[in-house]
Amino acid sequence: MPDSASLSITCAGLTKIHDNGVAAVDALDLRFEAGRTTALIGPSGCGKSTLLRLVAGLDRPTTGTVGIAGLPPVQQARRGVISMAFQDPSLLPWLTLRKNVALARKLARQPADPRLVDELIALVGLEGFQETRPAALSGGMRQRAAIARALATRPQVLLLDEPFGAVDELTRRQLARDLPPLWQPLGTTTLLVTHSVDEAVLLADRIVVLSPRPARVVADLPVPLPHPRLPQLTETPAFRRIAARALQALAQGVGDNPALAAQ
Amino acid sequence: MTALARRAGPVLLLLLLWQLAATATGGQFLLAGPAEVAAWLSDNPGLVGRALSVTLASAAWGFLAGNLAAILLVAAAMLWPPVLGLLTGLALIVFCLPLIATGPILRVMMGPGDGPQVVLAALAVYYTTLIPLLAGLRAVPSAWIDLVACLGRGHLAQLVHVRARAALPYLVAGMQIAAPAAFLGAMVGEFTGAERGMGVLTVRFIRDLNTAALWSLASIAALVSIAVYLGVGAAGRFLRLERPPVILAPPRLPQGSAGRRLGRAVLLAGATLVLWWGGMEALGLNPFFAKRPPDLFAALFLAPDAGATWQALLQAAAQTAVFVLPGYLAGLALGTGLAVALSLVPALSGLVTPLAIALRSVPVVTTAPLVVLLLGQGALGTIALVALMVFFPTFVACQHGLQQAPGQILDILRSHGAGRVPQMRHVRLPAMLPAFFASARMGVPAAILAVTVVEWLATGRGLGNLMTLSASLSDYTMLWLTVVLVTLASVLCHGGVAWIERRVLRLYAPEQVEG
Repeated sequence: MPDSASLSITCAGLTKIHDNGVAAVDALDLRFEAGRTTALIGPSGCGKSTLLRLVAGLDRPTTGTVGIAGLPPVQQARRGVISMAFQDPSLLPWLTLRKNVALARKLARQPADPRLVDELIALVGLEGFQETRPAALSGGMRQRAAIARALATRPQVLLLDEPFGAVDELTRRQLARDLPPLWQPLGTTTLLVTHSVDEAVLLADRIVVLSPRPARVVADLPVPLPHPRLPQLTETPAFRRIAARALQALAQGVGDNPALAAQ
Repeated sequence: MTALARRAGPVLLLLLLWQLAATATGGQFLLAGPAEVAAWLSDNPGLVGRALSVTLASAAWGFLAGNLAAILLVAAAMLWPPVLGLLTGLALIVFCLPLIATGPILRVMMGPGDGPQVVLAALAVYYTTLIPLLAGLRAVPSAWIDLVACLGRGHLAQLVHVRARAALPYLVAGMQIAAPAAFLGAMVGEFTGAERGMGVLTVRFIRDLNTAALWSLASIAALVSIAVYLGVGAAGRFLRLERPPVILAPPRLPQGSAGRRLGRAVLLAGATLVLWWGGMEALGLNPFFAKRPPDLFAALFLAPDAGATWQALLQAAAQTAVFVLPGYLAGLALGTGLAVALSLVPALSGLVTPLAIALRSVPVVTTAPLVVLLLGQGALGTIALVALMVFFPTFVACQHGLQQAPGQILDILRSHGAGRVPQMRHVRLPAMLPAFFASARMGVPAAILAVTVVEWLATGRGLGNLMTLSASLSDYTMLWLTVVLVTLASVLCHGGVAWIERRVLRLYAPEQVEG
């Protein structure tokens, strides 16, 4: 069973140049420790999502490699150990919420587990909406459903691409408290792409701050705060100190770029 | 109750106008009104009933076969994407085959039974299913495909879990267009010398100049078509399927350099020749009526009477072109114009739209004898029929397209105090363009079908007449030459419209042409 072993992710000399000639990621060397949660923050369009897609095996690098426990992402994907939640919830409109969540297990060729599916739906606060179709849910509710779907396969590699964009602030903080305990016992290696510094500090063990495109590492900050991280944690000096350093690094990354600094 | 009245109102109005027109022109034996039709039908219920059941059976088999073929072809293309371009190209060529010529050829090959009717019905429907189905399978957000991919699954899982269900509304929309077309195909098949059926009766009553009978048959054909059109639509609503935004999405294939496009065209032409020649050899078809490519080449370039052959072909083509072009353009202009006018004066639309939707499903070709009877054998009758054939699909498509205008952008214009006309110019017309071009493209083979049917049944001119003449004289070389000529012209005109379409849509609706 893939549940036991944790998988580390290694990017070596990772470069992605899109068809239109734009370099999204340029010679990136990064290692994500097994079982840890890393937040990737950076300005809009800096290549964070591209990095995630490369790790998921959805795009092929132009040069360089991604290894998940030493294997290419596509091979790991075939084992059903990767799960991803997208910016767009992309639920299938003809399936009920429950079936949408259960679909991930079916696609990953895992046995049906109705109890887990219902548990996850309750955990993201959608109890009572199991038989509802996506069109009848609000944007935030759909995003939470997409997170439940991403967790339904008990993934060892969890890739979250701005999954809380449409979720309201209170729910977002509650999810930040409830979600990490869910994947931590599985030893899941999680990458979280986000715009929100607070969200990064709340959820992650480590924050990687990226520069504007092409993405380079500006700062690599540990987040030594204990779990579970309750919403009031955001008011503590320790939290604010880390958030301030991340923000500073973000600004510095932008400042390093002569094109943006001139503006 | 009021809903029923709203639906029945336009129908009653149409019946009234029809009766008035019939009464007004009563002395000329051209137009039979609803009263005469009802009388004739009540006198001949057995005759019509038997003919209808025969035609319906052929149409149903053809509908089934055509749709099944379309679904299988599309599924194959989804599992192995590189063949998609070749497949849609071949499908278009088969769609552009002139039914009037393939009918007699099938008749010789398959004998007097139901074979040709079923094949022609299948040919009439498969393309209108294939194209929406392809559009539906492509109308899948890329994130859904990513979802399948990141869970480690490939094309088959994509097809089973995502694309198939996403394409279902498009399939039903395509079948809705296809259902009346199947009936039309079966009737055209019967024109070519079947023993029983609505088409056989139509040909018989044209010879007798029996106006009441002809109007009765056309009315029955119209009613059946409207019924199957509404029936498929109701099935879609019963399944709670959403209506797709654009049904006949434009072809996206010809991209890349000019050289690559030329290469693809050559590949398509080569594949067509191989299938044509190879298919005939494989089936061991008699070379007397199953002409191979070298036979036609010889007739055009080597035979002593090659000059006469060229002259006959070009003369007929010129006669046909004179009618088909004005009719096609008039149909497009009228359909678009009426849709725009109704959008600007919405009060009228409640009256006209139900009628237009009902009449769109009428197989115009089966009313060809009547239109020519009414408007005479001159240019007007033929041009009117071609225009009518193009008008209804264009009108309905454009109306649907006008409604696709994004509400938020309209709200912004309204907030600036812009009236209906600026809204039309800046938002609604651009939103209508994909639907307009789709109908312009699909209208090409339809216009050619209409004109050849009129030439064959009524006016005795042009390519339609040359086809029937060649068929009756067993001049199969000439018959195949007309098939090639008409198909080539259809495909090229279709390609020309698609070329303009891509250039215009790249500006106004890039999401339709790229990706």
